[in-house]
Amino acid sequence: MQRGHLLGSAFGIASAFILVIFFDSVWRGESVQVVAYPDNMKPDIWVMQSGVGNMHMAMSFIWDWKAKRIEKIEGVKKVTPILYTSSIITVNNKEMFAFIVGLLPGAQRAGPWEMAAGRQIKNSGEVLIPDVLSKIGNIKIGDSLQIIDQDFTVTGLTKGTFSSANTVLFVPFSNLDDILSSSGTYSYLLVDAEEGIDAKKLSRKIKNDVDKINALTHEEFIANDLAMAKQMGVEIIVMMTIICSVLAALIVGFTSYSLIMRKRKELAIIKALGVSNRTVLYSVTIQSIIITLLGFILATAFAIFIIPTLPQLIPQLTVLVSITAILQLGLIAIIVSIVGALIPAYMVLRLDPATAFHV
Amino acid sequence: MFQLAWKQLQLDRWRTLLTAIALGSVIAVILILEGFEQGQYYQLEQLVLNRKADLIATQSGVTNFIAVRSSIPQLSREEVESVEGIINAHPITSLPIIYNKNNIRTPVYVLVYDTWGGPSSIIKGENIKQSNDIVIDISLAKKYDLKIGDKFFVTDFEFRISGFTKEAAFMMPLAFISYDGMLDLFLESEIAPDLSTFPLLSYMLLEIDPAFDHKKIQQQIEARAPFVDIFTPSQIAERDKNMGKTFYAPIIGLLVSVGYIIGMLVVGLIMYSDIRSRIKSFAILKALGFPFKKLFHAVIFQSLFLLLLAIPTGAILAQSFAIFIHDAFPIYLFQIFYPNVFFQSMLASLIFAFIGAMIPLRSIHRTDPLLAFQGE
Repeated sequence: MQRGHLLGSAFGIASAFILVIFFDSVWRGESVQVVAYPDNMKPDIWVMQSGVGNMHMAMSFIWDWKAKRIEKIEGVKKVTPILYTSSIITVNNKEMFAFIVGLLPGAQRAGPWEMAAGRQIKNSGEVLIPDVLSKIGNIKIGDSLQIIDQDFTVTGLTKGTFSSANTVLFVPFSNLDDILSSSGTYSYLLVDAEEGIDAKKLSRKIKNDVDKINALTHEEFIANDLAMAKQMGVEIIVMMTIICSVLAALIVGFTSYSLIMRKRKELAIIKALGVSNRTVLYSVTIQSIIITLLGFILATAFAIFIIPTLPQLIPQLTVLVSITAILQLGLIAIIVSIVGALIPAYMVLRLDPATAFHV
Repeated sequence: MFQLAWKQLQLDRWRTLLTAIALGSVIAVILILEGFEQGQYYQLEQLVLNRKADLIATQSGVTNFIAVRSSIPQLSREEVESVEGIINAHPITSLPIIYNKNNIRTPVYVLVYDTWGGPSSIIKGENIKQSNDIVIDISLAKKYDLKIGDKFFVTDFEFRISGFTKEAAFMMPLAFISYDGMLDLFLESEIAPDLSTFPLLSYMLLEIDPAFDHKKIQQQIEARAPFVDIFTPSQIAERDKNMGKTFYAPIIGLLVSVGYIIGMLVVGLIMYSDIRSRIKSFAILKALGFPFKKLFHAVIFQSLFLLLLAIPTGAILAQSFAIFIHDAFPIYLFQIFYPNVFFQSMLASLIFAFIGAMIPLRSIHRTDPLLAFQGE
């Protein structure tokens, strides 16, 4: 009898939960993508300017001779310097925010970890861009884009390097050096240790031996970046979760209320037959829990099967569906269902059993 | 039909109230998302406009004020100031830093200024007086529980908080220091081979004699100083806003679309449940000869009435949320009542409510008038 009504309510509640899960997935996706570059480089140690402890939106300068000194420290196998900056790039007259990595000749160690098409940069004025940027910016291999006042020709497309907050481009070191006027400096050093060397101890040694630098193990460096990315916007996520949960509670309340109003005569008969208020209240709460759970199951199914496919439709989206977040939402759903049952419960308590005998 | 729809809503006030709040919450979600997006654009625009320049000189090729490194050669300042009509070229330097305290990191956009371009207002404390003074955005103070007079470390250099301002952009709080402060920071930090590694002059805020034509001055400067480009503040503000749009619009747009779908479902659900509960009344009306068209109008009017109740509810909810969030986390600014967007959202809500109201129409259409003569 109530199938349409229940299904409609479940869809309404599911939509409210989907909004929360989607918001959370985008936020998590972007946060993880922020560390995509350093995470894929995986040096044992990152060396940067003193006082700097991460990469996203940071500015770091260290003297070039410090790289040579670190190279000589016992236990260090290889040092790969990069230049790094954030800037606005112009792609087909559209301005976008991007992170630019300057690579020394032959420094593939610090370059893209997967190519989608084309070739690596070899000459001055060449650039590698993410394959997604190529799609949304309608820019292909051989086309040009602008970084500040310099034109660059696209020679290759890279994979896994795009996100709305952290699009990574690779250019020759000399070009970025020119743009930044940073002659004689590097931004970060990727330090690979000899086999069997403890990275934590080596990072401490580097920090002690070389003045005005910071050295962190790969894990510490990534954790810093990820923590910073995740705390940006977290308040919005929490507040949106609260609003959407209130909305879901209202829908639950509305559905339960409608059902009770429609069945009040039957409920009055039940009460007149001596069934206690508590038993009726239990049934109202269980009904509310069932509707909410149905909505939650629909939302979870959407989150698991549909949300991960959205970036195929909207390439600039980076999403990461978190099971932990869904489970947390499940707990909220239980609270929602109980809160949603409050008004109908109040109506049940007020229901006069004499109503059953009205003609 | 207008009256019938109105009476239906009055019959069960609890239900009408719940419905209006539920719909209002959907509208609030949409307004909050749209308001957040507009707030971000507003902050991006204000970042430039608050610097109060007549014209702005940037490094050649740089067209934005935020998220880009602009570095103008020192000599260009003389070249610019030599143009007739320029009263002063006030220097300003932007310095993105990561503030770290107790291992909690926050990107901060530091503006270094001399005579123009400082904080737009000081809401507590005082402006910069000494070289190691810093004025920070109130959101940073709240996040780290910082007070006036507290130490504020940038890399290893110690600043002293002299005042709080209320300026943020691109989800980054702003901070202001003097040129003396910046030089001390660079020199004492000894982090690079020479000072030229750092941008010492990012922009020039041009003060123009009101008697001179801005456009002509712009052309003269660009001819005389090849390393700079000249823009009006509103031109740069527009470009910063557009850059923000490429960043926020796809994600917020999708979230708002989901919000509209929820709104549609809520209206559909409410109308469906309402019509199912009154199916006998509809059967009576049909038996009395009311055409389907009239009943259709009644349903549409009813959903419109609901929406009229829901809009102010949603707007109040959204504005309350915006005030609460901005008070607790001043970095987030919501522009709930941004005229164009607000009315667009209301129009879209109306359309979605209309579509939602269509959902139960099939039930009315299929209602058999004979149902009116059946017993309980």
